[in-house]
Amino acid sequence: MMFDRRLIQEIDWVLIGLVLLLTFLGVLFIYSSSHFLPKSYYLRQLVWVGISLFAVFLVVAVDYKFLVSFSIYLYFLIVAVLAGSLAFARLVAGTKSWVKFGLFQVQPSELAKVVMILVLARLFAEYKGRYLNTPSTALALLLAGVPLFLIVIQPDLGTALTFLAILGGAFILAGLKKKTILLFLVVSLVVGVVGWNFALKDYQKKRLTTLLNPGQDLRGSGYQIMQSKIAIGSGGLTGKGFMKGSQSQLRFLPARHTDFIFSVIGEEFGFLGVFIILLIYFLMLARMFLSVAKARDRAGVYIIFMASMLIAFQFLINVLMIIGLFPVTGVPLPFVSYGGSSLISNYVACGLILNVKMRRFANV
Amino acid sequence: MPGDKIYEDLTIIVRRANAVFRAVAILVLLCLCYYWKVQILDYKKYWGLAEANRTRTRVVSAPRGLVRDRNGELLADNQASFKVSLIRDNVKNAAASYPAISKLLGISEGELRSRIERYKNLPPFEPVIIKDGLAPEEIAPIEGRRLEFPELEVAAEPKRFYPKKTTAAHILGYLQERSSEEIRDNPGRGARLGDMGGRAGIERQYDDRLTGTDGAILEIVDSLGRKRSEQVTQDPAPGQEIHLTIDARLQARAEELLGEKEGAIVALDPSTGEILAMASSPRFDPNRFITRFTPEEWVQFINDPASPLENRAARGLYSPGSIFKIVMALTGLDLGYVTDQTTVYCNGSIQIYGTSRACWFAPGHGSMNLVNAIKNSCNIYFYTLGRQMGIDTIAKGAEELGLGRKTGLDIPGEKEGLVPSSEWKMKALKTPWFPGETISVAIGQGQLQVTPLQIAALTAMVANRGTRIVPHLVLDPTNPKTTSPPDAAALSPFKRSTFESVIEGMWRSVNDHGTGQGARVEGLNACGKTGSTQLVSRERAKMLARAGKPIKTHSWFTGFAPRVNPRIVVTVLIEYGGGGGAVAGPVAGQMFSLWKDIYKK
Repeated sequence: MMFDRRLIQEIDWVLIGLVLLLTFLGVLFIYSSSHFLPKSYYLRQLVWVGISLFAVFLVVAVDYKFLVSFSIYLYFLIVAVLAGSLAFARLVAGTKSWVKFGLFQVQPSELAKVVMILVLARLFAEYKGRYLNTPSTALALLLAGVPLFLIVIQPDLGTALTFLAILGGAFILAGLKKKTILLFLVVSLVVGVVGWNFALKDYQKKRLTTLLNPGQDLRGSGYQIMQSKIAIGSGGLTGKGFMKGSQSQLRFLPARHTDFIFSVIGEEFGFLGVFIILLIYFLMLARMFLSVAKARDRAGVYIIFMASMLIAFQFLINVLMIIGLFPVTGVPLPFVSYGGSSLISNYVACGLILNVKMRRFANV
Repeated sequence: MPGDKIYEDLTIIVRRANAVFRAVAILVLLCLCYYWKVQILDYKKYWGLAEANRTRTRVVSAPRGLVRDRNGELLADNQASFKVSLIRDNVKNAAASYPAISKLLGISEGELRSRIERYKNLPPFEPVIIKDGLAPEEIAPIEGRRLEFPELEVAAEPKRFYPKKTTAAHILGYLQERSSEEIRDNPGRGARLGDMGGRAGIERQYDDRLTGTDGAILEIVDSLGRKRSEQVTQDPAPGQEIHLTIDARLQARAEELLGEKEGAIVALDPSTGEILAMASSPRFDPNRFITRFTPEEWVQFINDPASPLENRAARGLYSPGSIFKIVMALTGLDLGYVTDQTTVYCNGSIQIYGTSRACWFAPGHGSMNLVNAIKNSCNIYFYTLGRQMGIDTIAKGAEELGLGRKTGLDIPGEKEGLVPSSEWKMKALKTPWFPGETISVAIGQGQLQVTPLQIAALTAMVANRGTRIVPHLVLDPTNPKTTSPPDAAALSPFKRSTFESVIEGMWRSVNDHGTGQGARVEGLNACGKTGSTQLVSRERAKMLARAGKPIKTHSWFTGFAPRVNPRIVVTVLIEYGGGGGAVAGPVAGQMFSLWKDIYKK
């Protein structure tokens, strides 16, 4: 499969540059926060970066229209994998949501997000009305609902939330009437109450109550938030210096190289570090979101928007979570946190944006 | 336009997408504001929390100040006390390790396991103390097998150690753990629970001087509390050294002379008031308070009817018996009730206020002047003198000579004793004074109560021909070799010549076949007075009854040497010892003799 020269010219190198910049800053802080651990996480992350770039190459190589039309098969495949790994996890306790490929493990729920983007794009590309109607809403809910259900009972609340963000994004784009918004609010309230009483695990409930009162549970989930806030706050304006953060180096900070890596940045490079990372993120998200105008067709707009939404949502949740403004849900910081599955799915999402953007001229 | 159909109209959804992006942008901005608040506005707070997180202060105990005798001999030292702790993290195989450890340390496996069980909530890297108060020699076999027992940790801490064991125990006092109230009320001292504080004697009186300043080590710890590095922020500063006036040789001899007998010996330098020896028997070993008593030992100790903790020299209350005749003689002479020439005929008994009073020497002493009355301790002479003086004159004289109030000894707990007077009796017993009681007081019986230390101070005053001293145990810290002699204001109102007459009597008592001849030392012009008392104070009588002891005579001797320029005062009291001349006198003689051997060469 060869690339047309015109296609290569249309690739958004700026976006790729911003993503790679974040990725390598991430590797730096993975090193800082885990160099004292027996496994070399930063090297593993570099391997994952290589795999992710290869995945992007594959995604970009195929016209997104083909991917969209093919998406329904991917959808059934991923639902089958989710259900299968869940059933397997029931048999072998503790393996849960991981599928092993040799040395490396992959979370199928992460890849499900990308498949969902394609499926929803296909669904809404057909829909040209000004506002969303009931049949397509129901169909979208059904399509998203099956994998969502499988992810929720794993349980992986973070990924489930991201799923909802993609779906919600699609709905917003398709147009929501006031009546529908109201209906969603009522339904989510009911689901919330029922879920609180019957579905949420104790530790998940605790995370929510801890958010309202972090001092209440200083040894449990409040401990993580408190340690993270201490790390960030004690960074001050310029931070304690690379690999000199006492909170992260002395292991007070939980999940330093994964979900709480932004706390390490805040501690070691202070507010200036936070400002720079947020600025890079803002530029990248702007580049992503504003690409919707460059899409050739409706499916393209949906793909770019949902992919941007996926990354923006995870980013915001993570940045709010580690400073105690959102419950601890296990959402990593895209491109920066250590973790192969998350890295691949975010790179693939980014690849989809590139794909749509480079094929904006119809006759290629 | 023909191209119209190629591109759909996507304006609405693009507009919606842009609106969502604007919302995202606003959220990012708000986020940045919150980070600004946490990192810039609340920086101090979180910085403090991070510091508190990573640092832990470990206290390094400071050794207590040393206590030495006047010649630099150590009386209270410090010794490394070792404690052995178990780190559960390092236990590889509990089933094999615990029996081996219990064998090594000589504690039962059950006890070991119950100790570990008690601290099971501590993190496993935290050492659990399994045995403490170990001496260096007990540690050697454990240190020798270090490699076999990586789970054991040995740490040293300075602990008080009294090398001479029971010697001078009542002077030094003892230590006990400070109470939580004491720690709360003295926040400046920085004491912690488990710290030892002085409870009696020098240890208590000079607790602040002896207590050192604990050092501190700042430890950098990780989230599990494991030590990563440490930094000494303050070295422990040992407490100040204290030099006592005590001469350990005299002290040891005094204690040896008392032996198993209950009683007290005080030896002091009359020119300065420096106490050279102050022994009380029975004794205790202050080391036992450091290594902790077993419960049975403690109960036995506390219930011992002989109360070994009591410092009889400063706290024991006794009737002075014939020793009081010194007071009678001084007061009577000084106020002119008698002169040196006044004589009283002793035929062995006398009728006073309708009752017959006997002299201790039944055949009678014959014609007695003051000097001979003191030499022979003639009761009849002093009965007569007492009747002339009356109780209130006697009381005034006794108070003038330092009885009935504290001598000013520099350790706590000294007793005042009692000098009865008509006024006192009216106040305390609500009955008027009977003249017959005066006759008992005249020979040192009745309600009179004195401590051996008061008698020693009184004797020093006689030896000094009227100059009062304050008996004390600590040498001047600025000039630890001497203490300044008492100032002129300490002079008593008695005439100097009065003292010479009394001293002549005391000299004869010892050197001219008087009652005190047992204290005679060849080549040392000692002067002294004996005493024997049948009466015991009410509290002592109760104690005696509890102990089931027969109420026998207390034996007294007090004296000084040499007659001119006196250098040493010795006061001996032996409970139930018998006659003062027979028992206490020779003991005092031994003290004089040792003093002569040490200081007269």
